[in-house]
Amino acid sequence: MTVYDIIFYLFALITVGSAFFVVTLRNIVYSAFFLLFTLFGVAGLFVLLSADFIAVVQLVIYVGAILVLLLFGVMLTHNITQVQIKTGTLQIIPSAIAVLILAFSLIKIFLNTNWKTVPLTVQSSSVEGLGVLLLNQYSVVFELIGILLLIALIGAASMARR
Amino acid sequence: MENFPILSLLIFLPIIGMVLILALPKDKDKTIKWLTLVITGIQVILAVIILFFFNFSLGGINDPSSFQFVEKLRWIEISGLAWVGKIKIDYFLGIDGISVVLILLTTIVTFIATLASWNISKSLKGYFALFLLLDTAMLGVFVSLDFFLFYVFWELMLLPMYFLIGVWGGPRREYAAIKFFLYTLLGSIFILLVMIGLYFSATETLVDGSKVFTFNLLALMDPANYNVTGILSPLNPNNLRFIAYIALFIGFAIKIPMFPFHTWLPDAHVEAPTAISVILAGILLKMGTYGILRISFPIFPEITQQLAWYIGLFGLINIIYGALAAMAQKDFKRLIAYSSVSHMGYVLLGMASLSTAGITGAVLQMFNHGIITAMLFIIVGIIYDRTHTREINAFGGLANQMPVYTGFVMVAFFAAIGLPGLSGFISEVLVFVGAFGNELIRVLTIIATLGILLGAGYMLWAFQRIYLGTLKDKWKELTDLTFIEYCMLVPLTIIIIVLGVYPSVILQFMSASVNAIVKFMANANIIHSSISTF
Amino acid sequence: MNQIVDSLQYIKPEISAAIFLVVIVIVDLVMGKNKKYLSPIMIIGLLVTGFFIIDQFKFSSFAFMSENNKYGLLSIDSFGSFFKLLIVFSSIIIVFFTISSDEIKKAKERLGEYYTLIWGMILGMFFMIIAADLIVIYLAIELLSLSSYVLAGITKDTLRNSEASLKYVIYGGVSSGIMLFGISILYGITGTTNIYEINGLLQSQQIQGLIVTLSAILIFAGIGFKISVAPFHFWTPDVYEGAPITITAYLSVASKAAGFALLFRFTKITFIDSINADGSWNIISLIDWRSFLIIISILTMTLGNFAALWQNNMKRLLAYSSIAHAGYLLLGLIAFSNEGMMAVMIYFVIYAIMNLGAFFVVMLIANKIGSEELDDYKGLGKTAPVLTVSLGIFMISLIGLPPTAGFIGKLYLFLALINSNMILIAFIALLNTVVSVYYYVRVLKYLFIDSSEKEIAPFGVTIPNLILLLILVIPTLILGVYFTPLVEFAKYSITLLGF
Repeated sequence: MTVYDIIFYLFALITVGSAFFVVTLRNIVYSAFFLLFTLFGVAGLFVLLSADFIAVVQLVIYVGAILVLLLFGVMLTHNITQVQIKTGTLQIIPSAIAVLILAFSLIKIFLNTNWKTVPLTVQSSSVEGLGVLLLNQYSVVFELIGILLLIALIGAASMARR
Repeated sequence: MENFPILSLLIFLPIIGMVLILALPKDKDKTIKWLTLVITGIQVILAVIILFFFNFSLGGINDPSSFQFVEKLRWIEISGLAWVGKIKIDYFLGIDGISVVLILLTTIVTFIATLASWNISKSLKGYFALFLLLDTAMLGVFVSLDFFLFYVFWELMLLPMYFLIGVWGGPRREYAAIKFFLYTLLGSIFILLVMIGLYFSATETLVDGSKVFTFNLLALMDPANYNVTGILSPLNPNNLRFIAYIALFIGFAIKIPMFPFHTWLPDAHVEAPTAISVILAGILLKMGTYGILRISFPIFPEITQQLAWYIGLFGLINIIYGALAAMAQKDFKRLIAYSSVSHMGYVLLGMASLSTAGITGAVLQMFNHGIITAMLFIIVGIIYDRTHTREINAFGGLANQMPVYTGFVMVAFFAAIGLPGLSGFISEVLVFVGAFGNELIRVLTIIATLGILLGAGYMLWAFQRIYLGTLKDKWKELTDLTFIEYCMLVPLTIIIIVLGVYPSVILQFMSASVNAIVKFMANANIIHSSISTF
Repeated sequence: MNQIVDSLQYIKPEISAAIFLVVIVIVDLVMGKNKKYLSPIMIIGLLVTGFFIIDQFKFSSFAFMSENNKYGLLSIDSFGSFFKLLIVFSSIIIVFFTISSDEIKKAKERLGEYYTLIWGMILGMFFMIIAADLIVIYLAIELLSLSSYVLAGITKDTLRNSEASLKYVIYGGVSSGIMLFGISILYGITGTTNIYEINGLLQSQQIQGLIVTLSAILIFAGIGFKISVAPFHFWTPDVYEGAPITITAYLSVASKAAGFALLFRFTKITFIDSINADGSWNIISLIDWRSFLIIISILTMTLGNFAALWQNNMKRLLAYSSIAHAGYLLLGLIAFSNEGMMAVMIYFVIYAIMNLGAFFVVMLIANKIGSEELDDYKGLGKTAPVLTVSLGIFMISLIGLPPTAGFIGKLYLFLALINSNMILIAFIALLNTVVSVYYYVRVLKYLFIDSSEKEIAPFGVTIPNLILLLILVIPTLILGVYFTPLVEFAKYSITLLGF
């Protein structure tokens, strides 16, 4: 158990634990804040993978922009803290059994596979490599994402307007 | 005469009529009825012309060169890539001795049914349009020599029948119509599966020497055409021909209707309007036995030999069960329906004998039963139109009130019983002679003679309850036959009497084909031949 | 850089679609309240795109090559062009539907967004069809899904619409997530996202079967959601019922077509070993794809058909019917042969025509009587003969009875199945067809046999609608009798890049 592993498990715990609370808590403001911790945990995992640019982008965009907007929306909505969010579960026993079987089989399969791995090297900066890929090999993907964002914008505006 | 596409004209004339009817403006009832009558009348004339030019010596069955009035056009041709191969479906029509008899039957019965539809009052446009579409489908089945074409025409008749029963029928018409549809469709899927299986098992050699998968029935009858790997090929040691034969047989048996697939028939008959009952019993039931004779027997001769006894057994069950059930009926139309089941049993028995007399009797029985049962249903219709009841016990003594009508009834009833001098006797005798001659089904034949006794039983008993005895007061106002009813009953009576006295009129057309099929079946294996026809 | 410019010629239809998307946005912005130019611009855009697609049939190559210059992100071939053309055709028909639809007329202010989102769907579908890389696949599905989520709820006027949209979002989000999980697993074991490279690695037998099976199932969950096969079909009835009928029709045809094209490409390229001389495929033995697909297909057919028996809402009935048809189409894949592929292509063209036709008539009837419930259809046979007879023809074609085109589609499917020796499966499919007769004929019964309780004045069809109706009805009848051109076209388009 190297330090690396310990830090990895710490961030993983933050991510998954916060996600659990996001889903189960009844107060929507609490849920939003726990979402912040989830996204923060993911950023940490990115750092551990030496994907420095992605980690920063994750923090800036997800936490800084999306989550802040979410919190704005939550706080500007009238009486939102009074809204009762249903967080119960139906059919607890069958779903618990199904989830346990699924989890068990997934874990077993994952532990027994030979994953394709590359040795982890610490790179200087991943920005240049990412940029080159995005604009050369994956340029059509890049453009497609642009259109996807446009569609999302138009769609959201259309749904929100009266 | 050979090059004139008379068969296509025969089949598609009703379509032209249908289009004309649909294009007519509303409320032209008389025009619609007369148009249909003219078209079915022209079809009868065309059928007679075909008979006139028919060559008695050509056998047909499996020999492409001995079919008559052949029309063969390339319909679908898709050139092949290496792995998909060519697809070639032909528009292939042709008749031989067996189909020509059935064509005559179809045109006559359709004409009579048009007359019987004269009293339809609602939505005439739809009724006669569907009627003519049904006409096309029925004729198409009897002249198609390509399995795909046959199947298309076979399925085409389902929807018009559904609507004709479902819209213009009796109180439980929706149930009867959907039951008919689903039952027949279930049989059709068996036919479709076997059709596709045969398609991949045989190839036809084209003029330019290339081989292509085919739906051509005549090519399928030639064992030399089969490839080694096809699932229904006799050359393939793991072939599924036996199962396919049973599946195909079930598909056709539902139409006959053969016990235990007959339960759709009483409901369909009772709820259908008179004219549709006439068509259903007169023509549609024959499509099942025709299919067996045209397709099952020549393509799977060796399995037919193996299962002949079972076919005969089911024929026997039909005869006895149909007769017993008819005896128990309280509804006149239901009684006739069960009598149809019984009479089709004779056809099966005759076919199972695989002898000249037997198959001649079977085909003749198809024709005779068509005419006789058409007459019987018209008789029921006449009394139902006047009294709006079909309950046998509600009647009695009708002979006093409607003597001419009763005269015709007697002809029809006695023909159904098989009285010598009327047509029913000839076909039944031929069936029995042929079946008795075949040692294999001799015992079945002996038991089947019971059917004649039972037939006389229920028919005479019904006659006594309805037409003899004292007349109930409420029937004292009934009128005798109208002109249209005369027009329907007289031609049928003439045919019944003529064929009873001089059956050669029809037999001469079918003898070459019957001999051909018996010989073809005999060459597949060794069977017992029997006394030849007179 | 050069190879990007070279690749541009291969994606001319997609570029055209993107340009017209922007054009619609700008025109809507500039014109403001005046919406009457939007529909003609859509038609022109679709025709231009269609023209580019026809031009593409001759290509068979990769676009946007990767570093090793062997494979690219997109694969342009005639199989893809066939499906793209089908999508453009459906889109043109849908634009005409939109012009006649009362539901959309009520939401007229949002017509600009509506058309923009349709272009979004088209673009997503185009990329789904030509994708050769898992990333592009995922992105394209997301583009399609996002656009359709919003479109499902675009009219916003009833609770039903919003509920449909929300359900769609949730189901779609979950299935996208599952698919992404599967993609990431597949990447994890192969180290590449290009499906051709993955195939190379799978063929070389270095990968374990169990994990590949898991990732394949997860990816199938995402695709299966789009084509609404069981057990990923639960969204279909609710969304189809709640969405405006033009979108329902579009989803049922175009989205399914794109999904199936993707499924075929994914299955064939990723899991293939070799192709035999007679056209049947040898799938690598690592996973038992065939058994899995057979179970799914039978489940889908049976569920779709049996659930449809109880439906009283036409849109829901057609939704379950389209689920059942997805089951039949899956059979074409199960045959694992080029004939199966050809059968699916033929079936899709026919299915597009008859399904769009059925929805069109339901829409026109709903315009007039304001209802989609079967009980309100009673006796319509007398009051609207042209419409109801057309609906009858479409129903018969959906059953698969001769002499309609639906029979030809099913015939080719069964030809492919029996040629691959799957007779029992063909029999089960045929049994399902018999079951389906009951609910299709039930519609006919309500129309023609039952009589209406209330008085409805006879209504006809306007000339433009009549022409559109005939464009859909006449091929349904003619293709049932003369189907050579369609089969030739499908045969011509069957090359899948690399095989």
